[in-house]
Amino acid sequence: MKKKLMSVLLAGAMVASLAACGTTGTTDTTATTSDNTTTETQTTETATTEAAATETATEAAPAGDAGSVRLLNGKPEINDQMQALAAKYNEETGNTLIVETIGGDTNASDELKKMYQADNMPDIFVIEANQAANWDGMLADLAGEEWTDKTGFELVDASMGTIGFPYTVEATALGYNADLLKAAGVDPASLTSPDAWKAACETLDSKKDELGITAVFGWCAEPTNLGWSSGTHVFGQYLDAGLKADDTTYIDLLNDGGKIDEARMKNFAEFIGMMNQYSDPALLIDGTYDNQVAGFKDGKYVFITQGNWCVTSPSDVSFECGFAPYAFEDGINTIIAGPPSYWVAYANGNVDGAKAFFNWCAGDSAQSILVNDAGLVSPFDDCKYEAVNPFYKSMNSYITAGNYSGWHTMLKKDGLQNQTCNIFADYAKGKLDADGFVSTMAQVISSYYAQ
Amino acid sequence: MSTFSTGRKVASFASLILGLVLAIVGLALSITKAGDLILFTIPISGKATPVILGRGTMFICGIILFFVGLYLFPTLKYHRAIINIIFLFPLLFAFAVTVIIPLVLGIGYSFTDWDGIKLTGFVGLSNYLRMFNQKSFLWSILLTFLFVVFNMILVNLVAFLLALLCTSRIKALGFFRAAYFLPNLIGGIVLGYIWQFIFSNVVTKFTGTYSMLSDTKTAFIAVIIVYIWQYAGYIMLIYITGLNTIPGDVLEASAIDGANPTQTLFNIKLPMIAPTITICTFLTLTSAFKQFDVNLALTNGKGSVQFLGEYIANGTEMLALNIYTTAVINNDYALGQAKAVLFFIILAAVSIIQVRISNKKEVEL
Repeated sequence: MKKKLMSVLLAGAMVASLAACGTTGTTDTTATTSDNTTTETQTTETATTEAAATETATEAAPAGDAGSVRLLNGKPEINDQMQALAAKYNEETGNTLIVETIGGDTNASDELKKMYQADNMPDIFVIEANQAANWDGMLADLAGEEWTDKTGFELVDASMGTIGFPYTVEATALGYNADLLKAAGVDPASLTSPDAWKAACETLDSKKDELGITAVFGWCAEPTNLGWSSGTHVFGQYLDAGLKADDTTYIDLLNDGGKIDEARMKNFAEFIGMMNQYSDPALLIDGTYDNQVAGFKDGKYVFITQGNWCVTSPSDVSFECGFAPYAFEDGINTIIAGPPSYWVAYANGNVDGAKAFFNWCAGDSAQSILVNDAGLVSPFDDCKYEAVNPFYKSMNSYITAGNYSGWHTMLKKDGLQNQTCNIFADYAKGKLDADGFVSTMAQVISSYYAQ
Repeated sequence: MSTFSTGRKVASFASLILGLVLAIVGLALSITKAGDLILFTIPISGKATPVILGRGTMFICGIILFFVGLYLFPTLKYHRAIINIIFLFPLLFAFAVTVIIPLVLGIGYSFTDWDGIKLTGFVGLSNYLRMFNQKSFLWSILLTFLFVVFNMILVNLVAFLLALLCTSRIKALGFFRAAYFLPNLIGGIVLGYIWQFIFSNVVTKFTGTYSMLSDTKTAFIAVIIVYIWQYAGYIMLIYITGLNTIPGDVLEASAIDGANPTQTLFNIKLPMIAPTITICTFLTLTSAFKQFDVNLALTNGKGSVQFLGEYIANGTEMLALNIYTTAVINNDYALGQAKAVLFFIILAAVSIIQVRISNKKEVEL
C-alpha cells in the first residue's frame, strides 16, 4: 500500500512538473475567439495579461497604437547603446522596444532562419541588401513614412517597395593618415589616377625611415579571417569605384551569370598589384585585422584598406584621417558610402509599432544616442550631430559633393567572397600575376555563378 | 467471468478517451494558433484575471492520462507488451524527435529548393546532379578521404607509441598520461584558434617564411598535425587499456624464451591487442570523416588548388565544412542537405563495415 501511495505521489509530481513546463511560453500567440460560448481565448498580442473578457473588453486595448516591438540587432559592439535607445524610446513615447543582439561571429541571417522556423520572428531585424530576396513578400512596405523624406539611403526593393531603414552609413576606400601624407608632401586630393598613386607610393616608400613607417599600405589579403575584407570590400571597388551611387553597371554584369569587364578588372588588378608591392609583407599574407588596424593607428602604415569602422573614436588616433579613392582608372574620385545593412519590418509582426519606432528613430533624441554614443554616422539630412568618427569629415565631403558609390558589393551572390578572397591571397603571394588575376577571377566567378 | 472489475474497465476507458480528447484539443489549439482556453475569470484588485487552461498543459495531461488508461487496460495477454511500450516510449519519442524525424525531413528537403526560409517546389534529383557537377565538392570528398587515410595511420601510430611510453617504467607516468590526454578535453574551435596563432606567429619566427596556413598543402598538413595532437591522447588511453590486459604470464614466458623487446612487441603485444587496434582504427576513421571544428577554426576551408583544370578556392575544406558552407554561408540549404544525405550514406556504410568486422574478430578470439 505504501509503495502504491509513493508511486502515485511520484507520478503526480511528474505530471505537475510537466504541466508546469507546458504552460510557460505558450501564451504568446495572436488571439481569435473559441467556438465555445462560455469560454474565451486570451488576447496576448500586447504581451500583457489583460484578458479580452467581455466585461473588461474596453480596457483591453493597449495604451498607444505602437505597443511593444522586438528588434534584432546585428551589431554587438553597440548593444549597450541600443539598450539605452530602448530606454529612451520607452521614456519618450511609452512604447516598448526590446533589443536582442546577435553576438560575435554568429550570423544574423542564419539566426533569423532559425527564428523563422520556430515562429519567433522579431518585428524589426537586420538584413543586408542581397538578403531581401530571401524574405520576398514578408517585409513591410515603409513607403510614405515621414523619415523617408529625410534620407536618400533607404533600401528600395523592386517587388516589395521601400523596405529598409538605414540606421548607419559606412564608407570604405583607402583610409589615410593625413599627417604622414603632409609630411611627405603628398596631396591626397591629387590621388585620382593610377599614375598619381604610383608617384605617391614611390615618394612615400623612399621616405620610409624619415616618416617612421613600416610600409605604405596596411593591406592584408589573408583569406581565412579577413576574406570579407578582400572578397567583399576591396572587390567592391572593382564593382563601384568611380560610379554614381545608383549606377549598377558592373554589379548587373556580375549578376548576369558572373560576367566581368576584363579591361576594368585588369586596371583593378594592376592597382592591387601596386598595393601588394608597397605593403608590409608581414601583414599582407598572414596578418590579422587587429594587426592591420593597430599598425594604422600607430602610424606604421599610411593607408589602410578598411572603412570608417576601423577607427571609431577620436581618442584612438593622434592624427587626422581621411579617405582616398581606389583610382585604378583615370578620374576615379569616389569612395563607397552607404548603409551596409538595414533594419526591416516583418510584415506579419507589429508593423505599426515598427513604423512608429522608425519615425522616432530618425528624430533628434534617437540620433543623439546613435551618433554621439554609438559612434554611428547618421544617414539623415536633418541630423544636427556631427559624428565623432575620425573619418567623418572626409566621408562627409565626398557625400555632400555627390562623389560616392553604392555598396553594390552586398548584392553579389552569397558566398562569392569566399572564392574571390583566395585569388587576392594568391596574387599577394606572387602565385598569380595581373593577367592571371584577371583570368582566374573570370573563371572562378563564372563557375561559381553556374553552380 | 472477467478477472477485471468494472471500476478498472471504466477507469481505463475513461482515461484513454479523456486523454485522447485533451491531447487532440491541445494540439488543435496550438496548430490553429487559437491561444489558451480561459475557464473563468477572477477579479483580483479590480482586474479580471483569467484562469487559464494552457494548451501545453492540456496536451501533456492528455498524453499522461492516455498512458494511465493504457496501463489499466483490461487484458492479461498483452499487459507485458503494454508495459514495455510505456517504458520505452520516452526514449523512443526522444529518439524520433531528435534523430528519425530530422533525418526523414532532411532527405525530403534535399529534393526541394528550400532556402532555409521558403520552400517553393520539388526539384527532383537536381540537387544531387548539381552536387556532383561541383568540382569544389568533388575536391572536398577527395580531400576528406586523404585526411581519413593519413589520420587513421598517423593517429594510431602516435597513439600507440605514446601508449608504449605510458606503460613503460618511466617516472611521472600519471603526469604524462594526463598531459597527452588533455588536448582532447579542449574544444576543437578553441584548439583551432590557439594553433592558428602558433602557426602564424610562432612557427613563422623559426621558418622565416609566411604562415603554414596560407598555402593549401602546408595548411592541410597543419590540420593533420592539430588533429593528431587533439585525438592521439584519447586513442592512447584505449591502447593503454589494451596493453594492460595482456596477461603477465605470456610476457614472462616470452622473456624466459629469450625474446628481445622488439620481438615481444611484434610477436606478443601486437597480436594480443588486435581487437583494440580494430576499435581504434574505426574510431579514428569515423571521427576523421566528421572533422569539422578544427577545420573551421584553423583554415575555414580556404586555400587555392588546381583541380580538374579549374581554380578551386576551397583547398582545405573537408566534407562536413563544405556542407556547412553550402547551406549557411552560400545560403543554399537544399543543396547542403543533399550533400548531407551523401555524407550520411558514406558514414553509415563505414559504420556497418566496422560492426561487421568487429563481430568477426570477436568470434575468432
